[in-house]
Amino acid sequence: MSVDVSPTPQSLLVCDRSSFLDQKNRLNSQVEQLRFNYKVSLLLPECGSAPSHLDSVLNSFSSFCVIRNLPIYELLDRHFLESAVYHGSVYGLSYGTRMDEDNCVALMPNGRLSLSLDKDSYELLGLQGKPSRFNHRTRIRFVVSIDLTDSNMAPGGQGYLRLLTGLKSRLQLQTDFLLSHHPGGIPSLQPLLSRFEWSEHKPKVVHRSLTDLACPVLTSDQWSCDPHSFLEWLGAVDADISSENSSSTFLSSWVCPEPQRPVSQALSVSVCGLLLPQDLHRLTQALRGYLEQPRLESWASMTVHGFVDSVVSWGENEHRVHRGGHNFYTLLMFHNHMYHLHLASEAKDSCPP
Amino acid sequence: MEEALVRALIPHELVKVLGVESQSSSKAAVFTEVFLKNSIQQPTRHDLKSMLSHKAVILGYSRPKEKTKRNSKKAKGLNARQKRAMKIFQIKPEQQRYELFLPLHELWKQYIVDLCGGLKPTSSPQFVQQKLLKADFHGAIITVVRSKCSSYVGTTGILVQEFKHVFKIITKEDKMKVIPKRNSVFSVEICGFVSYIYGSKFEQRASERSAKKFKVKGTIDL
Repeated sequence: MSVDVSPTPQSLLVCDRSSFLDQKNRLNSQVEQLRFNYKVSLLLPECGSAPSHLDSVLNSFSSFCVIRNLPIYELLDRHFLESAVYHGSVYGLSYGTRMDEDNCVALMPNGRLSLSLDKDSYELLGLQGKPSRFNHRTRIRFVVSIDLTDSNMAPGGQGYLRLLTGLKSRLQLQTDFLLSHHPGGIPSLQPLLSRFEWSEHKPKVVHRSLTDLACPVLTSDQWSCDPHSFLEWLGAVDADISSENSSSTFLSSWVCPEPQRPVSQALSVSVCGLLLPQDLHRLTQALRGYLEQPRLESWASMTVHGFVDSVVSWGENEHRVHRGGHNFYTLLMFHNHMYHLHLASEAKDSCPP
Repeated sequence: MEEALVRALIPHELVKVLGVESQSSSKAAVFTEVFLKNSIQQPTRHDLKSMLSHKAVILGYSRPKEKTKRNSKKAKGLNARQKRAMKIFQIKPEQQRYELFLPLHELWKQYIVDLCGGLKPTSSPQFVQQKLLKADFHGAIITVVRSKCSSYVGTTGILVQEFKHVFKIITKEDKMKVIPKRNSVFSVEICGFVSYIYGSKFEQRASERSAKKFKVKGTIDL
């Protein structure tokens, strides 16, 4: 009797397959649960240069701002709450704070302020919070989650005052902050920005042309290619890893998944920054339009990565960086309006929807 | 019982030869008796007189009781049940006002300043700390700085009563709050010196704390 010893699973993968035309597709609800998006990378096979309307969509992504040394109690400023939090959706994330080491803050579009604190900071702050799901034996990490749109968190209310005194006098949290707003953009954040040192950034777009790529054959009706190996191949392409096995350097056993066929040219585009889900939705529509025209190759893939150091991963579940902290989804679109969706997160992290 | 003495005089001829004199009869009788007594062993068992005289036999043996000398009328004090029944440690609601305890705070400040020998900004914190460890805190304004339970954090008030495990303080809003000492850090401020008290290590009655020795510990985690 032999026991199969396999390495422990490093990631959780949820795969879904449906069509854009299907009324009941859950794409939007699944995709919008990854609130804080860091990077989107596109792979368009048999494409030499980016088509113009795709380019225009890529360049019209909303800009975000980086505030240096923002004291977190300023997020409770009355004018900021009225202009940004109550109207539209605001996306805010502490920048430069490591998830499992420092105190991290996230401001979510539904008005929830989420603080992930270590034990000393939690004991100093004095607000009711829950111990983290990922505490091993001793409680070293706590999550405080406050709904800013709640009635007792209205400016002047009891909960509001307690939070304000907590963040102002007891625990002076100060971090760099990434902030973005939809639909107002930067101007609606002005009440907060005018008092601090801030800089505006546009998401950075990088184009890369690839030649002589070995592509797996992908069909829309079934899982023609195993999702794990497909994602591995996609990541290798993105990281520019060649699958040539020259014996002089290092013998790797990784090959492009079978069946495969060579593709003469491909385009890889990546956009980095604090990306809004609404912009990504527009990008998806633009890619669908691109695929409708008759092409040599009938698919395109879009991978969206979330922040490694974000407080939340999928939905409002807690996130942790154990072995990488990756949370991303890959949308593989075909010309017949079918799509394959792969949602991934780390092994013991919260499960994608 | 009279014994008949057999006596005879020494004949004349022997007196000169022996060189002794015979005594008179009465003297001789006395001498003879004494001599006999000295030379013959008289066992006590055969002492007829003592044997026949009445002897008392002791049957039991008991020590006489010591008389309790603690007859002093000391004030015994009430036990805990009586104290609770009489409610002597409860402060009536109409007396629970913050302003009433402010003079107590002033007294306490004075007491601490006297204890530390005149608190100057130049006195070493170490010295002040040593004195504070033995000091009494009734009347101090204490604040909860850190606590395992988040709702205690931030409460400030004048310490009214200190028990073994809790502090009873009165806040500015005239509310009596009972705060357990364990798992909390309190801060006491006097003349610009801020002291942090780790409640878990302070769980003694105020009277007993003055005699307790505190160990030096590197860091204390709640």
